[in-house]
Amino acid sequence: MTDPELELLPQTIIARGKERQAKYNFVKSVLLDIFFVFYSLVVVQRAIYYKFIINLRDIPFSWNSIFIILGISIIIGYAWTYSRTSLSAKLFCISKDNNVTKWTVEIFGWFLFNITFIAGWIVTRISIIDLFSSEGIRGAERIFSALFQPKMGIFDDALFAMIETIYIALLATLISIPLTLLLSFFTARNLMKENKVSFAVYYILRIILNFVRSIEPLIWAIIFSVWVGIGPFAGMIALLVHTIASNAKLYSEAIENIETGPVEAISATGANKIQVVWYAVVPQIILPFLSFTIYRWDINVRMATIIGLVGGGGIGTMLMQYQGLARWHEVGLLILMIAFVVWVMDYISARIREAIY
Amino acid sequence: MKEIKISVENFSLFYGNKQALKNISMDIYANRITALIGPSGCGKSTFIRSINRMNDLIDSVRINGRIVIDGKNIYDKEIDVVNLRKKIGMVFQKSNLFPMTVYENIVFGVKINGLRDKKKLDEIVERSLNNAALFEEVKDRLHTPALSLSGGQQQRLCIARTLAIEPQIILMDEPASALDPISTAKIEELIHSLKQNYTVVIVTHNMQQAARVSDHTAFFYIGELVEYDKTSKMFTKPSIKQTEDYVTGRFG
Repeated sequence: MTDPELELLPQTIIARGKERQAKYNFVKSVLLDIFFVFYSLVVVQRAIYYKFIINLRDIPFSWNSIFIILGISIIIGYAWTYSRTSLSAKLFCISKDNNVTKWTVEIFGWFLFNITFIAGWIVTRISIIDLFSSEGIRGAERIFSALFQPKMGIFDDALFAMIETIYIALLATLISIPLTLLLSFFTARNLMKENKVSFAVYYILRIILNFVRSIEPLIWAIIFSVWVGIGPFAGMIALLVHTIASNAKLYSEAIENIETGPVEAISATGANKIQVVWYAVVPQIILPFLSFTIYRWDINVRMATIIGLVGGGGIGTMLMQYQGLARWHEVGLLILMIAFVVWVMDYISARIREAIY
Repeated sequence: MKEIKISVENFSLFYGNKQALKNISMDIYANRITALIGPSGCGKSTFIRSINRMNDLIDSVRINGRIVIDGKNIYDKEIDVVNLRKKIGMVFQKSNLFPMTVYENIVFGVKINGLRDKKKLDEIVERSLNNAALFEEVKDRLHTPALSLSGGQQQRLCIARTLAIEPQIILMDEPASALDPISTAKIEELIHSLKQNYTVVIVTHNMQQAARVSDHTAFFYIGELVEYDKTSKMFTKPSIKQTEDYVTGRFG
């Protein structure tokens, strides 16, 4: 624990730390300013100039113009930070004159917000005319009236598909519990920070989990329906993978937020690492874990209906088939059933979670 | 002749860039009660937690200097922290009982050290509770949840739990600050009786308490040890003006 640096006077260490911090902040600030300027120039050039002023339908794209803009923004961004009056100088607390930066923050902040909103409007191709065209509204009316007159002819099949969906969600949740539990201890910062090896494990696991979590269950279902074939099994694995990644994060955050009192008390009796986890950490996290898991089951039922659309089995697959045949009365029945089950699950899981706390 | 139990040599502690303890040097004597006093944030809790390396649990703590117990620097690399903490018991401000029965709370520390013999465990429970002046009050409730006891009883149970692992040193971080006057009096009486067998270090906000229970008193201010002397001297004729101002209630 003793550090050779500590032979220095504490003032020197603090001064050094501050200097280093200021340097880092300057670099960060330059990079952020360059980004701000680049972003504004690109948006102004492409969205506002081409779209509004010249009114081109397809905006020409060339790397050349992008590079030119990038060059300009590097120069402006650097100069701007260097003058210590920029937006990021304010953000990273290295600005010189607070009065001037207050103006830049207000004016430039508004500018950024407005061009972003305008660009967003253009990119999403918002069209009031399409929304209120009579032909479109008539089409929507046809589907809606069919949806609200569901045909009961396929009720038996739909019921079985619904049960399949619930079981897919249940099994994905159940199997996830032990795996998540194990992973969550290895991804809790406060348990893993002690030495370099465990910290490396923590870091790598976190990256993997972030990656897995950022891929939607829908995509996982597509991957697994190729891997293990179309059907409920593919849907279950897809949900399982996503559940593990999401819940491991929630679980490990619960571990990170535990009260330190019991941990200290147990440590003070001379307990080793595993005993500390078992007697001080586990009792504190059982209830949040249960609550997260039940909530996840509820989410999984909703997800299971969706992943059925890409071949994950259950009622989603059925919905896809009837939708493809444009049989809106049957689709109406399926949607009603899904809505009912989701509502019931929502209610039950809320009541259980309430009872737990 | 007083025997030195803990010898602190030029000890400094940093939280990140902030220095919480500045070059502390003091000798803590065996079988004496040493009180640490000072205003909030002066570093007394940090200091007491350094003695059993409880600060290891906090990120970004760095230390400099030595704390020598029985001839060994506890911050040496070969020191096993788990073993160290078996030798140094600690009682916290909040009672921090485990969610188990009274009996299990006491034997917890003994059990994780490997003792399983039921008869011996019973003995330890009785002895620890007796030493903590709690046995008469809870002897019929040994197998009820510990959290059903009153606040004062809980704190004495914490002391009994600490005594059960037979430490040599007992650290107390404001053990009576959350208790009523009667419970406080009981705890103080208990602390007084502990010094026959143990070295006790106690952090307290309450100066009357320090004056009542301790043999030696150390006054901390903004991370520095201002004055350290016999309690009788510290409270009657301290040699430093700052100490006098503090113990007479003129600041802090």
